Amino acid sequence: MEIRLKNLTKVFPGDKKKGIPDTIAVNNLDVVVPDGKLLGLLGPSGCGKSTTLYMIAGLLEPTSGEIWFGDEEVTRLSPERRGIGLVFQNYALYPHMTVYDNVAFPLTNLRIEEPVLEPDKVKQGQIMADFDAKIAAIEKENSTLDKKKDEGKINANKTEIKHLKSLCRYEMAQAGTPKVDNDGRPLMAKRRLSKDEIDKIVRETAQVVQIEQYLERKPNQLSGGQQQRVAIARALVKKPKVLLLDEPLSNLDARLRLQTREEIRRIQKETGITTVFVTHDQEEAMSISDEIVVMKLGIEQQRDVPQAVYNNPVNRFVANFLGTPPISMFKGRIKDNKIYIGQDMVREITEKKVADQDCTVGIRPEGIIVDPQGSFSFQVERILTMGRDIMLIVKHPDSLNDIKFLVDAFTKVGVGEVRANVKPHKCFAFSLDGSEERIV
Amino acid sequence: MVKKNNWKAWLYLAPVIILMAVFTFYPLINTIGISFLKNYNYLTATSDGFTFDNYGYVLGIVPKVYTSGGQTFYLYFTDVIQKALPNTLFITFVTVPISVLISLLISVGLNSIKWFKKFLQTIFFVPYVTNAIAVGMVFGVIFADKGLWNYIFQLGQQHWIDASKDGLPSDWGHAMFALCFYIIWHSLPFKILIFLSGLQNIDKQYYDAAKIDSAGRVKTFWKITVPLLSPQILYVMITSFIAAFKEYNSVIGLFGADNAGWYTGSHDLYTIVYYVYDCISDGNVQLGAAAAVMLFIIIMLFTAIQFWVSKKRVHY
Repeated sequence: MEIRLKNLTKVFPGDKKKGIPDTIAVNNLDVVVPDGKLLGLLGPSGCGKSTTLYMIAGLLEPTSGEIWFGDEEVTRLSPERRGIGLVFQNYALYPHMTVYDNVAFPLTNLRIEEPVLEPDKVKQGQIMADFDAKIAAIEKENSTLDKKKDEGKINANKTEIKHLKSLCRYEMAQAGTPKVDNDGRPLMAKRRLSKDEIDKIVRETAQVVQIEQYLERKPNQLSGGQQQRVAIARALVKKPKVLLLDEPLSNLDARLRLQTREEIRRIQKETGITTVFVTHDQEEAMSISDEIVVMKLGIEQQRDVPQAVYNNPVNRFVANFLGTPPISMFKGRIKDNKIYIGQDMVREITEKKVADQDCTVGIRPEGIIVDPQGSFSFQVERILTMGRDIMLIVKHPDSLNDIKFLVDAFTKVGVGEVRANVKPHKCFAFSLDGSEERIV
Repeated sequence: MVKKNNWKAWLYLAPVIILMAVFTFYPLINTIGISFLKNYNYLTATSDGFTFDNYGYVLGIVPKVYTSGGQTFYLYFTDVIQKALPNTLFITFVTVPISVLISLLISVGLNSIKWFKKFLQTIFFVPYVTNAIAVGMVFGVIFADKGLWNYIFQLGQQHWIDASKDGLPSDWGHAMFALCFYIIWHSLPFKILIFLSGLQNIDKQYYDAAKIDSAGRVKTFWKITVPLLSPQILYVMITSFIAAFKEYNSVIGLFGADNAGWYTGSHDLYTIVYYVYDCISDGNVQLGAAAAVMLFIIIMLFTAIQFWVSKKRVHY
């Protein structure tokens, strides 16, 4: 289902007496998340991305603006009636419940509307016979096993039997034909899920996120990654129309983060749920999202597919925020449609005519090609070997931040003055006025 | 093992250890000793030797034998077994669960409001700092024949705590109701304080998660709040069980020292600790000691049961 945010604004009131001004956490945000897509909300802390997420969830009420799920306006709807799944930053798993109970909890609150069934005795008999045969086989196996030696196997079989019995009851309840009223319409009834139905759904969901073997444990007996998967299972189990993820990977170590990231992507693709993913990690957002919204101080800066945001940043902030190592910034100027840093010409503007002016020049780390005849000269201070690449730590009199360039591992380069050419599509110029918008 | 020179630590601990040894541990052990002595005289600290009879007397199993004018009388004490013990158990099992539940609800309510929170917290804490006897006097007025309670609920002139003037005693049920009401009211503030501090430590995200999971208010309370507050609930349960088993000053506060049982017989709100005090003032120190030891064992037993139950129910 499509999510639409219309002029969404959230103001946290300050205190006039103490001189604390109002905080505008989210300012006039307009976003559409297409059905079944994953949107990454990206920005530094305090940019209002989590506030936006909590407003979509219904835990925070917007000051103004509207939230639409498909054709339904949900702005004033309470969270329990929005049918969403939310994964909290620190998971918020109930510590006193087992993993099973945690995942089952949303289901125990669910009320579903379903056609009333007329039990089909023949079918039910068949199902019963099938399951009885399966159970008998396992019981037979158990009776042949040694009580002491194969205790683990026997217990595993016993739980298996328990599951089979539950599944049997579930399937028997499903076997039937819908009852109809006098006009031929199916009779519907609202009811809670039965224990067996809950059991089946919990086990299916556990399988999707691969936590079946931990179901009987308490959350504090699990690692961060496992807890994370339980949290996702709890959010997914009621088959929400919308899944919201609040920095779900920030508590994981680097390797696990990479793995879980792909996991989330896989689960999202598999289930096809419209998902909003909040993160401050640009790499995470780029790799997982169908589309990225970059935010700063409550205002949307840019919205596009990940690669486009990286390749065509609209302003200095976006250029700065995306990319590791970050983009290098220099004081520069534009003259005669050429971009200069100091006396060095770094890029010729061919696309359009730009007025002469001072500007900020940004060069992506991978944006240079070392060349003794190159037009751009700088001092290399140190060289770090990164394996695949070499990182040059550079000093330049006009630099505005730490300058780092990445070059190919086979490049011959030493400490001292180096000349290079700049790749035009990796070099941007930003205006010096307040907006810091990109000129080219 | 490295032998640590820890005499400094002992020095710091000495004042407390000495005080506790003199005023807590010695009396405790001495009480157990006295409870096994026959005709103990606490002025001279002499007795007629070792006996189990004190427990027999207290439990009403062994009769006290008097000979007077050539005749022998067998006198059984039934105050403990027929009055004090049932009363104490009744008070405990009625007031503790009710007051825990009420204080839990009040603290959850207090925790969820925004305005007047501090003010209401103070109001609810006032009973704690008020003297039990003074509160008892106020309740005496409330539950008088022409008191507020009868007036508000239009009950005519029910006898709650006053022995009736027309010769009919106020019955046990009425008196016990007033007493339990008083005990519950007086024991709320401490529990509310503990629960409130516990509630403030519960991460708000659990409630957000419960909202997302569509859990109703009642379900959230039982499935989230109560389990997460279970360490505090256990603590409050155990301390208030012990306090209720030792109930004495509420009876005095509400009914007055010579109106409560032994003397008038009209209310029969005798409790075990009350009996202990009576024994001491009558000079039967060994009987009081025996009753005290029995109470000690009962309390130990119930505390052990609570710990045993809590192993499954309390989530730290």
